[in-house]
Amino acid sequence: MIETGIPKLDGYLHGGVPEGRSLVYYTYPGVAGDVFGMQTICHATSNGILGVYVASSTDPQMIRDQFSEFGWATEDYNGRFIVVDAFSGLIGADSQERYVVSDPEDVNSLTQCIKKVMEEMSEPGIIVFESLSTIMDLCGESETLDALEEWSQYAMLYDHALVYNFTAWPYSEETLLHVKENVCNSVISVGGITGDVIFGQYFGVLKVDWTDIARKSTLFKVLKPGGIRAYIPKILVTGPFDAGKSTFVHALSNRAISVDRLGTTIALDHGHVDRKGFAADIFGTPGQERFDPIVKLLSGEAMGIFLLLDSTNTTDFKRGKRMLEITESFGLPVVIVANKQDMSEALTPEEIRRELDMPANVQIMPAVAATGEGVFEAFETLVDMVMEVD
Amino acid sequence: MSTSEMLGKVLAGLGKVGEIEASAISTRDGLLMNADMHAAGDPETFVAMSATMLGAAETATSELGKSVPNRVIVETDDGKLICMGAGPKALVVVMTAPDAGLGLVLVEMAKAAEKIERLI
Repeated sequence: MIETGIPKLDGYLHGGVPEGRSLVYYTYPGVAGDVFGMQTICHATSNGILGVYVASSTDPQMIRDQFSEFGWATEDYNGRFIVVDAFSGLIGADSQERYVVSDPEDVNSLTQCIKKVMEEMSEPGIIVFESLSTIMDLCGESETLDALEEWSQYAMLYDHALVYNFTAWPYSEETLLHVKENVCNSVISVGGITGDVIFGQYFGVLKVDWTDIARKSTLFKVLKPGGIRAYIPKILVTGPFDAGKSTFVHALSNRAISVDRLGTTIALDHGHVDRKGFAADIFGTPGQERFDPIVKLLSGEAMGIFLLLDSTNTTDFKRGKRMLEITESFGLPVVIVANKQDMSEALTPEEIRRELDMPANVQIMPAVAATGEGVFEAFETLVDMVMEVD
Repeated sequence: MSTSEMLGKVLAGLGKVGEIEASAISTRDGLLMNADMHAAGDPETFVAMSATMLGAAETATSELGKSVPNRVIVETDDGKLICMGAGPKALVVVMTAPDAGLGLVLVEMAKAAEKIERLI
């Protein structure tokens, strides 16, 4: 198995792409799809796997620059990162690369070069095509599709994994269907959501023939540097006054800002988290009742909720439950954070469950926001819950 | 063209008004839809704060039985921040140069707000 390095995706694919199999990132126009192939090859080469990148629409030097913009230093991969130059031939430029396609507009010339690379690779590796759509534009649709079969056979023979970036430009219906259904062992669709108001990008598995298909979509965001992160646009942190919401947001976030006066939040806390392949924007609400209109205002479109409770202050528990109502969070994933567990009079999560009369399937997690203890565990639990919902 | 791209076009139009230094469109509840910030800061935080400001101002006036404000204008020594609703779902916010003529900016913003409302 060769991991794709895309958060969540390796889980969906049961570990990654097996040797000798192929995967296509089927991207809808207008969505940043190239970075998927880039991240996959960098993840593989940084794990010691031999990687070949077939450059069809960009100069090899520019490609290295693009990689370094994401923080992936291709020169550090000790020659495990090989570029097949199928670009310079187009503009008649000289190439510094070991493998050069003399005539990128002739699919046979490309096939010859790709076969040569596959033969000469010292061990099974991964071959990533920068843009299958560019190859189609240059060589013709049916010619490219025929060649794909040949490459797949060859890759199988030498146990290399093949990964394509493909943008679904208006090719013939037949071609698009073929790419979507037949050509590869697995198809990952990468698209944009232009729903009611949220704008986002998602990916999901359309096809995979080595494991059961997980029909789930994951929202993502592309960070520079960093690459693809599974992304949650809004996680709400709410709870009664003095439960430690702002402290929690700050403990969790890589950077955060609070609007607070006289020690209490009057507008909101806003933070970004970027951790283990997951990114999220965190909105912390005020806790005092007089700010309820703002709590209501902020809570729209949240995808998950943290309810912070001061474990020593049982009188405020009712207010905590009430805040779940104000935020209209029924049906959304909720993690209750039993904060201030370092205090001697703190109730345990189970005691809090009884006080709140919460069913056993509601997650109540212990934490000490002031020291950061338990904060990331709570985050990971909530992220998992949000990602499990389609 | 996707809705997001069309919103980008509306912001690009605002950007042509010379005195506008940064602009953004967000949902009423503070989620970024599009921004033209010229690297002036973090757009996510900018719109979250703006949405809170506009929402708080609307709550404040309606508490007194008055109609909702047409806009919120914040004056600083380095410029003016103007936040305006764009239909029930969205809002538009701009940061201007310190000596910007408010009249022109407000007219252009009102036009943009109307376009945004029709786009979403």
